[in-house]
Amino acid sequence: MIDASTLIWSYIYAVTITIIVITVYGMATRPNIVKKLILLSILGDTANLIAVMIGVHAGMIKPPVFPGISFTDHPVVGYNKLLNFAGEAVDPVPQVLVVTAIVIGLAVLVFLGYVALLLYQKYGTLDVRLLEKKMRGEMSE
Amino acid sequence: MAERKVSGRDIFLSIVAVSIVVILSYMLVSFLVISVPPQETNRWLANWFLTTTYNWENKDWWSGSPEVVTSILWDYRGLDTVYETSVFFFAIIGGLMLVRSVKIDKGSLGIKGMSVISKTITKIILVAVPVVAASVALHGHLTPGGGFQGGSIFAVSSLLAIIALGTGFLYGRGWTKMRLLGFRTLGLLIISITVTALFVVGFFSGVTAYIVQNQWKPWAPIGMGYLADLGVFGNILYSGSLIFLNLAEFLAVSAGLSLAFIIMALPRKKLVEGGDIE
Repeated sequence: MIDASTLIWSYIYAVTITIIVITVYGMATRPNIVKKLILLSILGDTANLIAVMIGVHAGMIKPPVFPGISFTDHPVVGYNKLLNFAGEAVDPVPQVLVVTAIVIGLAVLVFLGYVALLLYQKYGTLDVRLLEKKMRGEMSE
Repeated sequence: MAERKVSGRDIFLSIVAVSIVVILSYMLVSFLVISVPPQETNRWLANWFLTTTYNWENKDWWSGSPEVVTSILWDYRGLDTVYETSVFFFAIIGGLMLVRSVKIDKGSLGIKGMSVISKTITKIILVAVPVVAASVALHGHLTPGGGFQGGSIFAVSSLLAIIALGTGFLYGRGWTKMRLLGFRTLGLLIISITVTALFVVGFFSGVTAYIVQNQWKPWAPIGMGYLADLGVFGNILYSGSLIFLNLAEFLAVSAGLSLAFIIMALPRKKLVEGGDIE
């Protein structure tokens, strides 16, 4: 008999992996550059979601923010509080990597947005097949 | 799109995509990175970060911030985040270089704005969003969030203003290209000054200090401190350099993203006049 926790986690991982398959396939086959950009951002977000989920361990689901800020506490009491906190919080390392990945992803997205904008302004289309034809025509002239 | 046929190339690509993802996820599962449901595994790296970020026992080994993610970002691997900020800097500069000769002026109204209802509601929201952004950036060392998240939230408000109120709205309030670029450069300048401040002070006073150093260490006896004592008003926890870095990042990201959105909303006519396209 499968318990509910296993079922839910399997479902979430199955959905995220399906999304990744769909986005990789779509980026390869869709001709429109804007659709490629949308799929790229969905792919990045899904990968970040998986990274955050890896940081969750059994029974450790609190945010990695230490709540007990009090300088009047006895040092031993404070240290015990800190140890309890470390036993309950999620892994912060994947979250840090995800923050970095979001920044880099946004930078890449802004830059590619500029490139797509200029391509459309110059050639009047965002279809890669038409763009290829127009660029080849320009070169042969 | 209904007449689009499924070709052999599409089938091949889909098989490649599926097999890549299946191989990657099999490796994640076989190396016990992913376990369903999550197990209580030994995670010494996470424990080390969680206990040393706000270390009661030994204040020489802490960052003074109760928020672990920001302290890892700006303190434990601060140099990495400085490089990450420079990647963001170069992406925006690269985008601006592609449209470098465009001038934003009164005639450059790319978007005229929406109806009166949308404009009124947007004007109400435009007060609230920057407040949330500022609070996220100012509490970056205490709660989840930080400079980059606050800056992104702020940029959402300028995006709203561009789409609902028109490009001329922001220009009419003095959001020129040079001014936004200046704010962005100011933010990056504050980051570089904060990052090198202790190193410079230590160099001239003959004490060991490091770049991106936050609190003092046993072998580096100068530090940014973490607590402002206000006497009867209590203490304010400001976590050394983290609050300055968060605020500077907020400034840089909000100005840079707003400028990127404003230039993306310019009409084709302005780009032609700028000479970047024919």
